[in-house]
This record gives sequence, C-alpha cells and structure tokens, in this order.
Amino acid sequence: MSQRLADGVGVARAQHFETVAQQREAAKLGIWAWLITELLLFSALFLVALITRIQHPEATIAAARHLKFWIGATNTVVLICSSLTMSMAIEFSRIGWQRAMVRAMLATAALGSLFLVLKGYEYYADWDEHMMPFLDDRPFALVETPAARLFVNLYYVATILHALHLFTGIALLLGMTCLAAKAGFLSRHQNWIEVYGLYWHFIDLVWILAFPILYVVNR
Amino acid sequence: MRNPLAALSADDRALLRRRLRTPVLTFLALLALLAVNVTLGATLPFAQVWIVELLVVAVMVALILLVSMEVIHEPPLVRLFSGLGFFWVAILVGMTLTDYLAR
Repeated sequence: MSQRLADGVGVARAQHFETVAQQREAAKLGIWAWLITELLLFSALFLVALITRIQHPEATIAAARHLKFWIGATNTVVLICSSLTMSMAIEFSRIGWQRAMVRAMLATAALGSLFLVLKGYEYYADWDEHMMPFLDDRPFALVETPAARLFVNLYYVATILHALHLFTGIALLLGMTCLAAKAGFLSRHQNWIEVYGLYWHFIDLVWILAFPILYVVNR
Repeated sequence: MRNPLAALSADDRALLRRRLRTPVLTFLALLALLAVNVTLGATLPFAQVWIVELLVVAVMVALILLVSMEVIHEPPLVRLFSGLGFFWVAILVGMTLTDYLAR
C-alpha cells in the first residue's frame, strides 16, 4: 500500500533492512505471525463452545437464554463502528492528515471503551441473575442443569479474554496516539498505524465470531 | 498539522471521498450482514437457521480479512501467512467436528 502514500509520509529505514519496502513487509509479516497464534487460541475456545452445544443441547440453550442478546448485538455494532474509525485513521495517515488521524484514533479508543462499559453492565446483569457459577456465595441459577455450567464458564473465559485484548488494544492505541500527535511522526513511523490497525481489526473479527457462536446459534 | 474538517477544498473533498469509499462501503456491508444475523437470531424462522447464521458470519469474516485488513493488497508471503492461519483453524475444527458429529 506504500504506493498510495502522500509526499512527506513514510517510514525511516532501520539499518538492518535493505529497503523501506522490506521493512514495511517485515512488520506486516510479524504482526500476522502473532495474529495467527491468537486466531488459534480463540478458535479452540469457539470450537469447545460448539462441542458443548452438540453434547449438551438443552443445557446450552438454557444457559444461552440468560445471555443479553441485545447488548451483544449493540456491542457488535460498536466494534464495527470502531473498525470504520480505525480504517479512517489508516487512510488519513496515508494522505498525511495528521490531526484527522489522531481524532479518528481517539474515536476508535472511545468506541472500544464503550464496548467495555456495555460488557461490564452485561456482567453485572449476569451477577444479578446468579449466572456466575464460579462464585461460592451466589448459588448458580441453573443448578438443576449441571452441563449449563460448562457453557457459562466457557462464555466467561472467551469474553474476558477478548475484553483483555480490547483493554490492551485501547491502552496501546492511546499511547500511540500521544506519539502520533507529535510533529514528524508520519514521515518516520506511518506504518505503525497500519500495523496497529491490523490488531484492532482482528479484535473486531474475534467478536464477529464470538457473538453468533455464543449468543445467536444457541437461542 | 492540517485540519481536514475545516474548509476542505474541492480537491481535498474528492481525495477524502476516494480514500474513504472502501472503508465506508465495508462498514455498511458489515452492518447489513449483522442485521440479517440479529433478525434471524431474534425470530428463529426455521429449525436449521444456524446454518444460514454461520454462513453470514463467514462472509463477515472474509470481508474484514480481505478488505479491512487489506489481505487482498498484501504481498504473496503475507497472504500466505494469513491464509495458513485459517487453514489450521479449518483442520482443527474439521477434524474435531468429524469425530463428534460421526459418533
């Protein structure tokens, strides 16, 4: 994509690379290598959710009825919006519109934070409905269907892991926004925005998989 | 720093439209596909609706991967890496479900 960069926008070549193009490609390859390991981690969790559904259909459906379908759907919209603002930040970085890029990055962080707030409210509602089987002091609402415990525990592992990734992503994004607001950033580190954008889109992709697998197909 | 939101010239507006066309179209497509899945999930129109729901998800994932993550524009080695990830997932899911569904 470097051929679409505006004048004055680019990457300062590190000495161990022969060309800037090689440096950009190495950075992309590096983040993809890591994203593949993340993909396998989340895929294994989603696969276990599908197996739980196959092995214990009634218990899984009973547990999934307690999930907050509309909060999950709203959160999916929020993350799709954040993917748009991240894509906008990448495009602004390529054409050298630094202030617009910084604003798009802040909007992305704000949308990510909104997701976490809604997720927190969802967990609170679950706690209120006694849907946290791992708490000793609150009896599980579906105690008569023990297999439901499997699905609910898996739901928490998968969604908390995703929320941790999102929280880390927001922290990194805010840190990078501080750096990106400085003069000369786009002439030396434009590809940081593109590489980070891959991580953000991946978080979105994981939720795009999590929402239907946990909330929708088990209804 | 330039502020593109204040007093955009005609050229700037054209540039903005050109650059943001693909992200905005992808955004609208993802929202439309999500609306399909949410409607199916809320109404459950037939017993095997989960097949349609998972197909819609597959299209959404492909859109994010190919367009938002720009795999389609990447060099062959990066395309190979991203493809390999999903190939491994296909092996993982395929072989595991073959066992459970064939019991």
